[in-house]
Amino acid sequence: MPYNRISFISGILPIIFYLIFFKRNREGGYWVIFVYCILSFFADTAFHVHSIRRYSYYVYSGLTVIEYSLFSFFLYQSYKEKIFKVILVICSLLFYVIAVINILEKKSNSFDSLSASLEASLLILFSIFFLYEQINDPTIFYVYTTKKFWIIIAFLLYFSSILFLFIYAVTFTSQQFNSYWRINNIFDTLKNLLFTIAFAMKKNKQHEPSLENFYPEDY
Amino acid sequence: MILLEVTNPGSSVSLVLFFGTIGMLALTIGLIVFIIFHQRKVIRYQLRLQRMEQDQQKLLLNASIRLQEEERQRIAADLHDDAGPLLATARLYLNENLVNLDKTTQLQSIYNAKQIIDDTIQLIRNISHSLMPPTLKNFGLESAVNDLFQKISGSGSMNASSRFHDYRERLQAENELIIFRVIQELVNNILKHSNASFIHLTQNTSGSKFFIRLHHDGRGITQNDFNKLNKSNVGLGLKNIQSRLKVLHGKIFFEKDMSQTYYKVTIELVKDEEDKVPAQV
Repeated sequence: MPYNRISFISGILPIIFYLIFFKRNREGGYWVIFVYCILSFFADTAFHVHSIRRYSYYVYSGLTVIEYSLFSFFLYQSYKEKIFKVILVICSLLFYVIAVINILEKKSNSFDSLSASLEASLLILFSIFFLYEQINDPTIFYVYTTKKFWIIIAFLLYFSSILFLFIYAVTFTSQQFNSYWRINNIFDTLKNLLFTIAFAMKKNKQHEPSLENFYPEDY
Repeated sequence: MILLEVTNPGSSVSLVLFFGTIGMLALTIGLIVFIIFHQRKVIRYQLRLQRMEQDQQKLLLNASIRLQEEERQRIAADLHDDAGPLLATARLYLNENLVNLDKTTQLQSIYNAKQIIDDTIQLIRNISHSLMPPTLKNFGLESAVNDLFQKISGSGSMNASSRFHDYRERLQAENELIIFRVIQELVNNILKHSNASFIHLTQNTSGSKFFIRLHHDGRGITQNDFNKLNKSNVGLGLKNIQSRLKVLHGKIFFEKDMSQTYYKVTIELVKDEEDKVPAQV
């Protein structure tokens, strides 16, 4: 089965699992990821329509901005430290300015490489901030028992593996682009699977590992 | 397929893309693994600390329960061995046969019974005072400590003196009782183990801190000894002191005087505003 088809089908999984385990995912801002999954799924479907491919530059650019907005919003509401929120807002403003300028001055025929690379770099950075915050939070005992951890890991793995692809995408020929886009498909599948794991996980109650109850020895 | 393209010598972009992607992926996986292992290490450390603290608490709890039981046994023994026989004797004097006896014997029996009942009242009063000294309740810590030290001095076994430098405002009654018990326990230890010829107690305040210092010239312990005894199963009285001071968020320091002649025990407490009660004159 071609990679793009596997990637396309895997996009349905987080949507289904979010709806099945709706109660578990109602709180915590996971709806942002759900909205992203739906948008991503419909965008993938739309790419199969031949007439839309003519506007692929604008579709890719628009998707990059929406994807960045949703992920950064999710991270923004996950942060507890104010400093990270401020950094995220400042970087986002810069990103939007660059993305809009790039859309207006269309330089490539098919892919907005600069915005996508910048998006990947920023989201990697923001994910690292989030993980840093998590390991410094004494109330979180096992970081991998939280849904957010799996979502952030999905971001990290996806964006770090496609960063170079996005950077060099502008230099590719159409044939190379189709060939290398498999990297994106593979890690998009992995990202969808990690989102599915996050949505299927039980709501994490931050229990400390229990120590045995104790009673005085003699009484 | 990708690998084949990468191995194509003409494709330098492919090479960079391949190694760049692999490198980024390796870094990310490394980061995730590091976070998971680092967190597990931190958790293990926290758990160890928690366990140590619980063990310490367990020791303190054991000590305090044991002391409570000893106190109960002492009261039970006092009541059973002293008050019981006294009341039984009084009852013998006032038995049913008393009405059949002549008036002089009756009066004598009533007088004896009255004497015994007075003794019993005194005995019960002593027990009650040992549980809660009336001086402490009515006149405060300063008077109770002075009273205690006068009694020790009066016994002739040791020279004991106390001086309160700044105790215009009394602490809350329950806190005074805790401090008094700590002082009693310390004095008791000095009397039992130190062979000291004098004990001197001073009270001071500095800012929001409240200090009580005890000096004696006998054999004492240092902070290291105190810590060791606290972690072992012996030193019940010291654990009791520790658990009492914990209630007041107080600290205790055992040290040898600069001159290496005296042992010094310092109790340090933080005075809360709501803790102060105007002292009764």
